[in-house]
Amino acid sequence: MIQIQLLETALLLGLYILLAGGYALFYTLAWMWHRSSIRIAAIALYGMHGLVAAGIVFWAPLWLGWKLLLIASSLAILAIPTITLHHLERTHGTGSLSA
Amino acid sequence: MRFDDPAFWRAGAISTILVMLCVLAMLTVDSLQAISPGGSHVPPYTVVNRHIDYVFDADKGIDVPVIGPSQPLFGKVLDAPAATAMMDKAKLVIQSRACMDCHTFFGNGAYYGPDLTKAWLDPDWEAWQSITGATTKEDAMVAFLKDPEKYATWTRKMPNMHLSDEEARAVVAYLKWTAAVDTNGFPPNFGHVHADR
Amino acid sequence: MYRSQKLAVKYLAAAIALFGVMTVAGLLSAYYYINPDFLFGMLHFNIAKILHIDTLVIWLLMGFMGAIYWFLPDELGREPVGIWLAEILFYVFCAAVAVVAVVFIVVQYGGSDQASLWFINQGRKYVEAPRWAALGVVAVMVVFGYNVIGTVIASRRMTGIVAVLMVDLIPLVALYLDAFPAVTNMSQDLFWWWWLVHLWVEATWEVLIGCIMALTLMQLLGTSRKIVESWLYIEVALVLGTGILGLGHHYFWIGTPNYWLGIGGFFSALEPLPLLGMVVHAVYDAGTHHMKATNRPALYWMMTEAFGNFLGGGVWGFMITLPQINLYAHGTQWTVSHGHFAFWGAYACGVISVAYLVVQKTRNSALVNGAAWKWSFAALNLGLIGMVGALLVAGMTQSFVERATGGSTLRAFIAGQEDPWFVSGMMLRFVFGLLFTFGYAILVYDLLTLGKRSVSVVAQPVSP
Repeated sequence: MIQIQLLETALLLGLYILLAGGYALFYTLAWMWHRSSIRIAAIALYGMHGLVAAGIVFWAPLWLGWKLLLIASSLAILAIPTITLHHLERTHGTGSLSA
Repeated sequence: MRFDDPAFWRAGAISTILVMLCVLAMLTVDSLQAISPGGSHVPPYTVVNRHIDYVFDADKGIDVPVIGPSQPLFGKVLDAPAATAMMDKAKLVIQSRACMDCHTFFGNGAYYGPDLTKAWLDPDWEAWQSITGATTKEDAMVAFLKDPEKYATWTRKMPNMHLSDEEARAVVAYLKWTAAVDTNGFPPNFGHVHADR
Repeated sequence: MYRSQKLAVKYLAAAIALFGVMTVAGLLSAYYYINPDFLFGMLHFNIAKILHIDTLVIWLLMGFMGAIYWFLPDELGREPVGIWLAEILFYVFCAAVAVVAVVFIVVQYGGSDQASLWFINQGRKYVEAPRWAALGVVAVMVVFGYNVIGTVIASRRMTGIVAVLMVDLIPLVALYLDAFPAVTNMSQDLFWWWWLVHLWVEATWEVLIGCIMALTLMQLLGTSRKIVESWLYIEVALVLGTGILGLGHHYFWIGTPNYWLGIGGFFSALEPLPLLGMVVHAVYDAGTHHMKATNRPALYWMMTEAFGNFLGGGVWGFMITLPQINLYAHGTQWTVSHGHFAFWGAYACGVISVAYLVVQKTRNSALVNGAAWKWSFAALNLGLIGMVGALLVAGMTQSFVERATGGSTLRAFIAGQEDPWFVSGMMLRFVFGLLFTFGYAILVYDLLTLGKRSVSVVAQPVSP
């Protein structure tokens, strides 16, 4: 039933952003602490985010425009931690931090 | 590098805000026309003299209000000034009694009581006519509003807000008008149980 | 200590006290769902809710004002101009809030006339306070603006943060003018009302808390001005760049044209992206200082602000912002779940962080730590998350039962409200509300006694 699918889509959308936040968090931690295990976790989280995005795009009864927006947002989400950290390092005048 | 210069970001902030505000201003001018009584989405107050329905439009995929033939409210056709006066009164009732701190209009307000957007069209009023001994839907609604504790719909009772006859009638007229507003399909599936589209 | 800073302490104390009133009114509002006959005929849900949401707005505003009054003299190097007027108005403000609250409780409603709107209850959400009190709020905010702008002129100094603050104050005060009209046409009423509510909490307040957090960061972590200002401009650009037209997500269903579905949905969907950047920034700041500062509660509450803003505003908002979904979720407990989480994360945590900073400075405590703040932190956040989770369950149930399958009628509404999942959700919400209240009590104890307790405050330099 389409209405039920829309409510399930809502949960997926929440998960979509939550995983994006998890990716941003772990990416930043990996950047600061230089730990490969944390970096792998960050990649895994982005991978899960991508799976959720794909699930929404292929399954959810949303209009095409929203699906395209989600794809574009996922690309932006991929870049946000890197761009933010580069700018943070530049403004703080520091190189990468060690633990 | 200019990205290190706060002035670059300040300029970015100012220009972004100005562009967005300009777009908002233009859309506001257009929207205000549409939502004025008689505009494309909001009917004139004299719509209370007509039959109101809410019907699924297959092309749009949503329910839309349908304004039908003459159906005077309380047996009396109101001209524009009289209808406006009734609406003005009703809105004062709604505000003075803080209705929107229990109920919602267009889904805005508080969520303790039901949404009132399409309350005029609620199928329950048919039953309330016999319960209240009223001959018309609007008289049943007035009877309910004047003594909601006596005509409680369920365990979460509406308290008596001490409405006068005039106030209750004005509120009923207001509810008939709001039912005719084009809300882009809100609330969904109205009156259709287990609808699957 | 400057007079302005003494006034700041008063504003923050009043804010924390009103936070308590808000909490009690919230518990009462929640209890009605469990026992609808409670105080029936004496005090109803709508009055409890009015007290809850109006004290929310006022305590946060007082918190913001307290923060600015605290930072302003150090920022501009002098006592703010006209501070004597602000000192008088503080007491007038508190008295007015008390009178309005008593009238809400004792008188409750008037007749359908202008006198009711002027003296008793205006009945418009968040701005129910009668017009005489709304005039008072305008006076307080105008004097606040005068304190800020007058001091900039008198000191012949301007910082980037103060410049942003000054520009932000103008729409902040101007938007409040929508607290006065009583427009008959509900569509029009709500159109302008959302200018006030959305452009406060998702625009001007975001900028205001951004300024406050920038000032706090400089004092708490010694971050350089150039860095915080640069980031403030970026935040302002991104938050207002998405939030101004994100206003459209309140224009889906109020009778406005359907182009708002696309515009509002699009910009609203972009709103979480700046919050992601905020999370990165917060983790970076925390990491560079290894979560150590001379004031751990202030730092932890500031971190919670960044994460809470992202979760409450970003994640919870994103779930329900697309119009196809919002059609079912709009005006349900799902909205309530989002509202509680977003207000908490975006604003309450920030004000609490400032309160701890100010307490440290006024009690001359070189190091602020201890057990009490941790208990308060845990109970408040767990309590809030519990409430939000319970409301999410209730809201999803309501969307499913009342809207998706039930037909959105009165019977459908009742079916949703009586659904076991809904009932359980509201019960759990109340239980977690009690936990939240417990956390609040410890917060008050901690703020009152910090620096005065014999143990846990040690004057030691802490290396960054």
